[in-house]
Amino acid sequence: MAVSKTRRITTPGFSGLICSSLLLVAAAPASADSQHEFLLFPSADTFNTFGESDPAVEDSSVRGSLDVLYSFSTDRFRFLAEYLLSTEESELERLKVGWAWRDEVMLWFGRTHISSKHWTSEYHHGQYLQTSITRPSLEEWEDESGPIPSHVTGVSLDVRHSLHDDASINYVIGVGLAPKFVGQELMPFDMLDPESGHDLSVHFKLSYRPRQFENMQLGLISSWNDIGVESESSPALADLRQIEQLTYGAFADWQWRKLRLIASFVRFDMDLEYFDETVKDDFDLAYLQLEYPVSDSVTLFGRTDNGFGEDWSAYLRLLPAFVSHRHMLGLRWDFADRHALTMEIADTAQQAVVTDHEYFKEVRLQWSAVF
Amino acid sequence: MIALRHIALLAALVLLPLDAARAERMVVLVTGASCPLEEITSLDVRKAYLGISVSVDGHRLTPIQVVGDELLSSIFYQSIVSMSRKSYERRALSLTLKYGTPRAKKVESVADAAEVVIEHDCGIAYLWKADADRLPMLKTVRTLWQGE
Repeated sequence: MAVSKTRRITTPGFSGLICSSLLLVAAAPASADSQHEFLLFPSADTFNTFGESDPAVEDSSVRGSLDVLYSFSTDRFRFLAEYLLSTEESELERLKVGWAWRDEVMLWFGRTHISSKHWTSEYHHGQYLQTSITRPSLEEWEDESGPIPSHVTGVSLDVRHSLHDDASINYVIGVGLAPKFVGQELMPFDMLDPESGHDLSVHFKLSYRPRQFENMQLGLISSWNDIGVESESSPALADLRQIEQLTYGAFADWQWRKLRLIASFVRFDMDLEYFDETVKDDFDLAYLQLEYPVSDSVTLFGRTDNGFGEDWSAYLRLLPAFVSHRHMLGLRWDFADRHALTMEIADTAQQAVVTDHEYFKEVRLQWSAVF
Repeated sequence: MIALRHIALLAALVLLPLDAARAERMVVLVTGASCPLEEITSLDVRKAYLGISVSVDGHRLTPIQVVGDELLSSIFYQSIVSMSRKSYERRALSLTLKYGTPRAKKVESVADAAEVVIEHDCGIAYLWKADADRLPMLKTVRTLWQGE
């Protein structure tokens, strides 16, 4: 089995949370200027993995998912909820309320996606809006062996400064509760179980947009995550007490005529605190994706995910399904107004439990849409 | 003198339809007659339609998109937001996904546009000038496009 998947159901008591949220929305001042938005992002994909020498990595699967997004806005107040339903999981992704102090300043409370992962903060679970099927491994979700927390529950400040011409500087700074390490993955804070013992996360994203009406941007990202460990949840975590993770790096989302580049480089400085010693663990992860529309409806793209100094990482060894290298090519066909068919082929290496990687090829096919 | 009068009348007859035709080939920005704003810059109009919150003198602009007229829609994409329809739609979806930003309200007809504009403190819509001139509950705040 090349790709491990963890089935996660985080619905117990969810109806109570939804009721509370709806009460909050109902209590917000209603006027003609209030507005609701409801979006559905369905997708279905199939993948096949095969290895040249090791049949153990052969795997195939079909997965369907539906991302449901709802927002309610008034002049200064905003509510946003995102819920993902799939054949593998059912999870509340985001639930937050925002207050616009000024047009350029928004204060958010609740469960959000961390700002220090560029791809995640751009695409969230809106599969149709991202060109590729797969996410860069640096940007993977916690239950897909993502190395950086994706979900933080707390407060964040989102600020935009308009500069001369059309340019702008944007920054987000957030503080909240980080996931903790359970079994072979990070487990986000459960809003329904506030006693679950999570520690602090501080995250930051600074971006410069030369034209604030377009997607082009580049900037800096950083996060500090104090990650508690449930030592009894896995033999590999037996003596591990705490993980302190500092990440910092840069990202770019740039366009030259029709060619688009999305890239990020992140440095990890980590302390793994065992009961009897502290292990230092430093490495870099990066990705670079190029996209080129060959016609109005067809886009050719490719991406390389790479690590530097990650082969011997004690932390990544705790995430055996982490994809440390992937070289991928793909083609996307947009059709029938808001539908897309995408294909990817990739040469992939997974971290595995020991330091030897598992190498395999992947073929993926996906339909995605938005309604 | 009689000849001069005839020439003047002829000129008026010729120029009046020309003036009307010119008005029809102008796209204007309208807001409700009760909105206190007398001027809205084209940058603020563009920002509002591109999902950026814009308040002018404390009045929030609420953009309304008129989708029932194909030529008017083309002018909207080319001259008001300067984006292809595909890029505009993707941007609007992306902002809703990221921040819950409401998309511009879409209406089919001029009558619907007028109705929705006056529902808001300062709703804004783009209309043919000839249509805008016929609706007393609206006022024109700027010319957005003029045909050759």
